[in-house]
Amino acid sequence: MARRGVSRRWHVGLQQLASFAHAGSSLLGPVRSPKFVVDGEGPESVLVSSAARLLERLDLSSAVGQLLREAVRAQTDAYGTGAGTLLSLAGAWSSAAAECLHLGVPVPAIVSGMSEGLATCLEEVVALQVPLHTVCDQTDSTQMPAGPGPVGVGVGPFPQSPLGAGLMPKERGLHGTAPQASATSSFSGTPGKSAALFRPQAAAGTDNDPAQTAPTPRTSLRAAPGCRKPALTHSRHCCRAGGAPGTTGRPGGGLEQRAVTPRAHTCKDLAELAAGLSHGDASSMTLAEAALRLQRRQASVRQGGGAVPLTFDVSRVFTCCLPGLPEAASCVCAGFVTAVSAAGTPVPEDVQNRPLRVVLIEGDLTENYRHLGFNKPARAQTVSESTETLRQDGAEELWADRVLQVLAQFRVHLVLARGSVSERLVARCARSKRLLIGWVDGTVLQAFAEASGAAQVAYVTQVNEDAVGSGVCVAFWSGPAGGAGDGAGSRAIVLQAEGVNLVTAVLASPAAAQLQAKEDGFWACARRLHHALQEQTVFLGGGALEFLCLGHLQVLAEQPATEGDRVRSGGLPIAAAPRPAACPALLRPTVLRGLASGWRQYLSTLARNAAGRSSAFEAETFIQRHVQSAADSGSPSSYVLNEYSRLSGGILSPGHSSHPDGGPRVYDTVTPKVEAWRRALDLVLLVLQTDSEIVTGRGHTQVRPQESEGFLFL
Amino acid sequence: MFRLEAKKPSLCKSEPLTSERVRATLSVLKGVLTSCYGPSGRLKQLHNGLGGSVRTTSQSSALLANLSVTHPILKILTTSVQNHVSCFSDCGLFTGILCCNLIENVHRMGLTPTTAIKLNKHLLSLCTSYLKSEVCGCRIPVNFSSTQILLCLVRSVLTSKPACMLTRKEIEHISTLILRAFLLTIPENTKDHIILGKSIIVPLKGQRVIDSTVLPGILIEMSEVQLMKILPFKKSDSFKVALFRVSLSGDLSDTGEGTVVVNYGVSLENAVLDQLLNLGRQLVGDHVDLVMCQKVIHPSLKQFLSMHHVTAIDRVGVALMEPLSKMTGTQPIGSLSSISPSSYGSVKDLCTEKFGFKWFFHLIPNEETVCSLLLGNRNDTVWDELKLTCETALHVLQLTIKEPCVLLGGGCTETHLAAYIRHQILHWKTREENNTCKYKTLNKPESILKDGWCTQTELQLTTEAFCSALESLTGSLEHDGGEILTDMKYGHLWSVQADSPSVVHWPDLLSRCGCGLYSSQEELNWSFLRSAQRPFAPQPCLPHEAVGSANNLTLDCFTAKLSGLKVAVETANLILDLSYIIEDKN
Repeated sequence: MARRGVSRRWHVGLQQLASFAHAGSSLLGPVRSPKFVVDGEGPESVLVSSAARLLERLDLSSAVGQLLREAVRAQTDAYGTGAGTLLSLAGAWSSAAAECLHLGVPVPAIVSGMSEGLATCLEEVVALQVPLHTVCDQTDSTQMPAGPGPVGVGVGPFPQSPLGAGLMPKERGLHGTAPQASATSSFSGTPGKSAALFRPQAAAGTDNDPAQTAPTPRTSLRAAPGCRKPALTHSRHCCRAGGAPGTTGRPGGGLEQRAVTPRAHTCKDLAELAAGLSHGDASSMTLAEAALRLQRRQASVRQGGGAVPLTFDVSRVFTCCLPGLPEAASCVCAGFVTAVSAAGTPVPEDVQNRPLRVVLIEGDLTENYRHLGFNKPARAQTVSESTETLRQDGAEELWADRVLQVLAQFRVHLVLARGSVSERLVARCARSKRLLIGWVDGTVLQAFAEASGAAQVAYVTQVNEDAVGSGVCVAFWSGPAGGAGDGAGSRAIVLQAEGVNLVTAVLASPAAAQLQAKEDGFWACARRLHHALQEQTVFLGGGALEFLCLGHLQVLAEQPATEGDRVRSGGLPIAAAPRPAACPALLRPTVLRGLASGWRQYLSTLARNAAGRSSAFEAETFIQRHVQSAADSGSPSSYVLNEYSRLSGGILSPGHSSHPDGGPRVYDTVTPKVEAWRRALDLVLLVLQTDSEIVTGRGHTQVRPQESEGFLFL
Repeated sequence: MFRLEAKKPSLCKSEPLTSERVRATLSVLKGVLTSCYGPSGRLKQLHNGLGGSVRTTSQSSALLANLSVTHPILKILTTSVQNHVSCFSDCGLFTGILCCNLIENVHRMGLTPTTAIKLNKHLLSLCTSYLKSEVCGCRIPVNFSSTQILLCLVRSVLTSKPACMLTRKEIEHISTLILRAFLLTIPENTKDHIILGKSIIVPLKGQRVIDSTVLPGILIEMSEVQLMKILPFKKSDSFKVALFRVSLSGDLSDTGEGTVVVNYGVSLENAVLDQLLNLGRQLVGDHVDLVMCQKVIHPSLKQFLSMHHVTAIDRVGVALMEPLSKMTGTQPIGSLSSISPSSYGSVKDLCTEKFGFKWFFHLIPNEETVCSLLLGNRNDTVWDELKLTCETALHVLQLTIKEPCVLLGGGCTETHLAAYIRHQILHWKTREENNTCKYKTLNKPESILKDGWCTQTELQLTTEAFCSALESLTGSLEHDGGEILTDMKYGHLWSVQADSPSVVHWPDLLSRCGCGLYSSQEELNWSFLRSAQRPFAPQPCLPHEAVGSANNLTLDCFTAKLSGLKVAVETANLILDLSYIIEDKN
């Protein structure tokens, strides 16, 4: 066993954390620069465009690297978003903690000061929460036709531009969807109208009318079935005159409006919410939004046209990646889409486009498959008088006969299996006009079980009349309607059933390397939308949160030490006060400034990514100026609310001073964001409090001489 | 051809403790343990150096389980600490550090080991009898009619493990949960003696600590798809349960060395499946509602059971078998042949729960002595630490119910005890000033001292070594250059931050003592713990009103601490007593 100490003043772990985080700094924010990770020895290279993917590829064999990877993975697993924030803040805060150590602040004071600081910031940012209780889908999915057969919402290939990115895809998307609207039967909507049409050019932001982002009364009157509270919101929006001409020019000008706008105004339109949560990836968000609409429509059909709550169940959403097709072929389909090559299946003509009887197999469909936990007898010998019958393929042939017999008996033409499917059986089934599809996800099987009435079985021998479902349709996927997917050919097949609760987003890209990024982008958008609707609240994003924290911490750090927290309150690192023991008042400003520097660095990274390196300095002075005015205004939260457009505009599109209203609003999810902060700080504090590494299982001999420096042996 | 190799001679080392290398490794070990001690202790990252998982911890059980020490002396030490921890869960670092301190002090003062050992034993018995006596000034009786003391105890355990990364609010939440989980394990109808139930910790890794909760009964984690398959449950007041220990997957039992020969056309699998289906028929005939299996149930049997509206749950795992059998009152079934009706048990209700993205099958018992503590924390390493901490806290509560008292924590017990021992020895000395070398009137009948085998100086030095071992142990609570003081009335511990002004009015700089019982506003005298101590009589018998009013005390488990003290002194004595190490080199 060896033990390596960590230097007190120059904490190696914190330095490592900062350097890992630096590697991911260009992957933060709406404008990202994807990276190529190249294998130093082989020809392999991978395109990464998210922090989580980057960390998967980096060689993080050190202990701190492992902890970082673990933290990011936990965040990604739980929320599917916020990994970039976590990485960036972990890096920034570890530099800040190292700086505090260097200034001689003791470790417990840093731990308690930073935890306290974050806790007060979390209380403060509640002011930026935007309630979604009244949000409703103004464009309630009337564009999509029902019934079996491949349908889709087309999405064009859009440049990822930070400005106006929120609305462009909507308009483009409509070209693909509007012509099909006549096929809808369950809703009485006017086809082809969406909120996007009611606020043309909002993204361009050329006029200053703050009400432009609101649904107009005309939209509200068209109350869709899913809309629970169609409220007229005009007056509310008039109050939000923060960006009105005249007051925007001078810092601190929000003072007189503070009384008028105590809270962030609500977000009422799903399209607005989705655009705000897209974080620059508008094409992915369009797909996610379409998936949500499709899911709601399916739910509404199942419930007989009644109103369904506005939620997004991402566990019933799947993706299917099709490399080699143009991006315009990306679309959202009802049912389950799988690439033909993945299924390895010839699709007989006869099974297409007609309801089929189906069997669902929850394991492999092969002769020698046995359920999990079954141990084959190792020492069993079969004896026979004739040697012919014992041949292996003979056994498989016999088994295939039996399977076909069962399928014929129950008139089953479609089998979905969770695992692999015997090739020999596939070939034989194709001859008898039956289709076998392997590697189908368990949730998909469950969805088809619900929709078709089938019960999942492990073996074909278990099939009985109750286990067979009906009404599943198979068709070739023909690309999004409107011809965008020409050349889709027979690349993928679509499985559908009446009332099935499944939506598949087909992601196409001419470059296979990009597909992973596109898939990640889609899931990030879908998960954000899911969390926002689940929590019924979002934060005002686009840097506003971080601004508020900065301003708040500035106020706190400047506060003189009150009589209440005397010097001696810090004299108790031992248990009299539970962790975090109060941070000594003398040291608190230093620690809080350190915490603030984390967010400052985060914001300037955002700005730098958005605008290129040239204006980094400009961005930092911009941040500094506004933080100071926010602190001076006395109430940073009102300041941020009033100046929101200018702040987020300044961060996300610096240099575009011609948009005083800053373009569309940006939103952030609540719990994922807050948890990312907590995880980042926890990680930093965990590393900070560590004073030595203990390497297990390595004796004196195994530690190489050049790295044995600093090791102590037991 | 045989080749005979001559045996290497055994290696014999005399006086192992005098070796410089042994002392160096001992001090490295002590450094590791000391730096982990207390709420502001530093954490250790345990990993294999090759990119495996990393464990961040400051707890002795996790630390020592991963330390592979080579020297026999260190092995003795770590093993006895590990044995102590396996029995009492708490106070492992205390034991280890105290043991190292004792060895070091005896050496530093140049005492002869034999004398030191005997006197250590004497001092230990002085300590234990004081701690057990009614007049003990650092012991609080536990009043089970209020949760205050128990909550303080749990909170102290949580606070002393910084690697859990809990905020104050989260500590409150988890303490309450632990206490509730513990109370749920106490049966309501007690007869002669209580048999405590069990709290099962269910992982909710990656979720918020604040989302942790306690539920009565047992939760079995399942995927959503699996759970949907067994829904809906039928409505009933009581469900008859059968619990299988044997695998129902339909595989053949192990044939051992032999080989089974079967004729072509005979399927062993079908034969076993028929047997399983017969079993299923018996279960259905016996009106069983719920069949659970530690291992796997054959899909066909599952299908058969679900057709007859029997819920089947498989892959329960060995860890849940004992609580399941306890809670439902079943006898786990170990054979496929026939089931005696007495093996069936029952549960009150079945339902499903969802926490975060995890789904659970929930069995609600008739009598609630088994509960599930669903524990969340942000990532794996802090979750592991929190789980260990919760187990410790639950164990500490169990120990407290056996011996209903607690000790003051935060180092106050140690300083108080040191003051008491010093005073006892001095008290004796002043009384016996004119009666040299006759130690008969020491207030404890000590035959060893009567014999006159040790001098007064030796006694004094050993006492000093013992007391300063206790005191420097409390000094290890301070990791950032702060100073430790003790007051001259109660003998409690007070700590002061580093770089404090030298000439100060102490009450301004100090606020409360380590355990939180006394405030600096009382008229007290303080002295540095490091400076030479003037013996004084610490005030015995805690005032009851003081204990009643303080609700934020730091407390330690009585049983664990007492055992730790004993183990530390006895292990130190054992190590001091070693005169040869004989190593077999073959």
